[in-house]
Amino acid sequence: MSGSAYFELLMNLTKREVKGRYSQSFFGIAWAIVQPLSAMVVFTIVFSRVAKMPSDGVPYPIFAYAALVPWFFFSNSVASGTMSLITYRNIVTKTYFPREIVPLSQVCSRLIDFCAASAFYAGFMAYYRVTPGPWALMTPVFFLLLILFTVGFTMATSAINVFYRDVNPVVQIALQLWLYLTPVAYPLSATSARFRWLFVLNPLTAIVEGFRSSLVFGRAPDWSTVSVSAAITLALFGSAFMMFKKMDKYFADVI
Amino acid sequence: MSSIAIQLDKVTKKYRTGRSRTLGDLVASKLDALRGRNDDVHTASRGRIGSTIWALRDVSIDIPVGAGLGVIGRNGAGKTTLLKLISRVTWPTSGAVRVGGHVVSLIELGAGFHPELTGRENVYLGAGLFGLTKREIDRQFDAIVHFADVERLIDTPMKRYSSGLYARLGFAVAIYSRPDIVLVDEVLAVGDAAFRRRALEALRRLIGEGKTVLFISHDMWNVRRLCSDILWMEEGRVRAYGPAGEIAERYMNEINIEALANQSVNLQSHRGGTGEIRYSSIELVDDAGRPATSIAPGENLVVRATYRAERPVDRPVFQVAIIDVDSGLVVTTATSNSAGVPAHVDGDGAVECRFGNLPLRPRQYVLRLAISDSHQLASYDQVTAGPRFAVIGRGRGVEMLADEEDGLVSLPYEFEHVSTLSTSITPRTA
Repeated sequence: MSGSAYFELLMNLTKREVKGRYSQSFFGIAWAIVQPLSAMVVFTIVFSRVAKMPSDGVPYPIFAYAALVPWFFFSNSVASGTMSLITYRNIVTKTYFPREIVPLSQVCSRLIDFCAASAFYAGFMAYYRVTPGPWALMTPVFFLLLILFTVGFTMATSAINVFYRDVNPVVQIALQLWLYLTPVAYPLSATSARFRWLFVLNPLTAIVEGFRSSLVFGRAPDWSTVSVSAAITLALFGSAFMMFKKMDKYFADVI
Repeated sequence: MSSIAIQLDKVTKKYRTGRSRTLGDLVASKLDALRGRNDDVHTASRGRIGSTIWALRDVSIDIPVGAGLGVIGRNGAGKTTLLKLISRVTWPTSGAVRVGGHVVSLIELGAGFHPELTGRENVYLGAGLFGLTKREIDRQFDAIVHFADVERLIDTPMKRYSSGLYARLGFAVAIYSRPDIVLVDEVLAVGDAAFRRRALEALRRLIGEGKTVLFISHDMWNVRRLCSDILWMEEGRVRAYGPAGEIAERYMNEINIEALANQSVNLQSHRGGTGEIRYSSIELVDDAGRPATSIAPGENLVVRATYRAERPVDRPVFQVAIIDVDSGLVVTTATSNSAGVPAHVDGDGAVECRFGNLPLRPRQYVLRLAISDSHQLASYDQVTAGPRFAVIGRGRGVEMLADEEDGLVSLPYEFEHVSTLSTSITPRTA
């Protein structure tokens, strides 16, 4: 019953998840690239061509894709993670192991998608001749924030959803709106200055803007936005984890 | 204390019943609380959500290391809840559960398996769920595959497996996960007879190695084969906990008597025959003529039946058969020429079939009665589901070996050791 055994269990459940998702599909892991790619095409047509959305001087597709990859990582993790404890009721109600492994495995499985989409992005940047500057070294910071926020949020929704199944539909709808309330299709600078603080309260704003500034623009992020995001993310992660551990004793009774 | 594997100390477990709560219920209860009402139960239109059931009430037991403990009881007695508490799948509402050692629970075989993964991958996934590292699984892998007998299919996705094979691999993974305590919940019901036998052998071997095995089953036969002690649960409490032979007999007696109390004899159900002559009443009595529905082994049993013939019938043959409720026909009897049945029967009459020193084992039985002609060509009446009775053991429990209890009848026998062959004539093997 060691930590390493549970880490291996996490890896095995992740593998089970990825394999279950892509086995018997011809393109396999390529589907992980198609999702942000097709969103990028739609956004390029709708926001860039039709709505003439500014992209701060870089090609719009690359501008949008840089934010879409972390966005879909978050959104897909939450979308499947919220139901994960219910989906895995078979093992949750029949065997003992630390329950957080279940939502964590959902996030980890989306990490595979994230990596595939990122690898594609590298080629994409080369095509547009965008070379990342020294600020690209900031990327791991935003990556870490993204992971913490995603894990915290997924743990919270998955745990509450065990007790109140209404959470899942609410979350699925909220995710659709959330995409447009996050500067993914547009830059934060395009938002009205009066309401910008509201966008800043959304931790994902600093994260997607951060990926963009460090990779696409090669400039420093807006530190004040980043610190607000980091504070909220850490608070959410900490409280979500504590709540999860408090609730998990009763999962098997309720599912 | 070191010899106690599992200790339950005043353990109580409550469950909510009824529909699961929704956000709407949460909002409603918060509103109620604001208005100063604080009951768990909402208005009728929303339905009761606050009712609870007590799966376990104040259960305190110590289970020693190396015990083979059968857990028996009716459905809903709290057996599975007990196993879930010990395996930490769920937590007690109050009280403490102390468990010493690595617990492997077989509440469902292959619960963690994924059909898209191969058998090999699922072995690692399943054993991982039991807390093993990859290196530990590597060491056990061959033994697992060998036990489950799936060498040929080990690299095939498990969705191609038969359900028996699925169960076999699930069982193998569990028992090779270096358990100290194994919890088995009715899982041997799946799989074929050969698998059940191997599974029981494996569990018995684990007990022999000093592991603790808790075995829930409704099959007394398997419980007796595996377990030296029995825990009898009833309505969330410990009804009895002690030597297997004694508890098993008390339990079976109670089950049998209760089944009899609940029966209502309806001779019309499953009634067959052409109807020229029919039984009009059937009763079971003892020697003194008192009604008897449960008797002890070796007592006398009398089946007394009245009949009515609608028209004259030539030489009817009356038959009484005893059927074992679980395993079938025990004996058939019939009136013979010497039984005093008149050549022509008309109107009302009565027959009596007497079983002396009934050599039946403690089980439940049902009577089947028939009337036919002397050539067994015409069937006038058939009572397929006649009265039931039970043979009730007399508490010799502990002395009785499990094997001795099997079978339908007790036959008088003498069985002794006659002689020893001297070593010089032991056949030599080439």
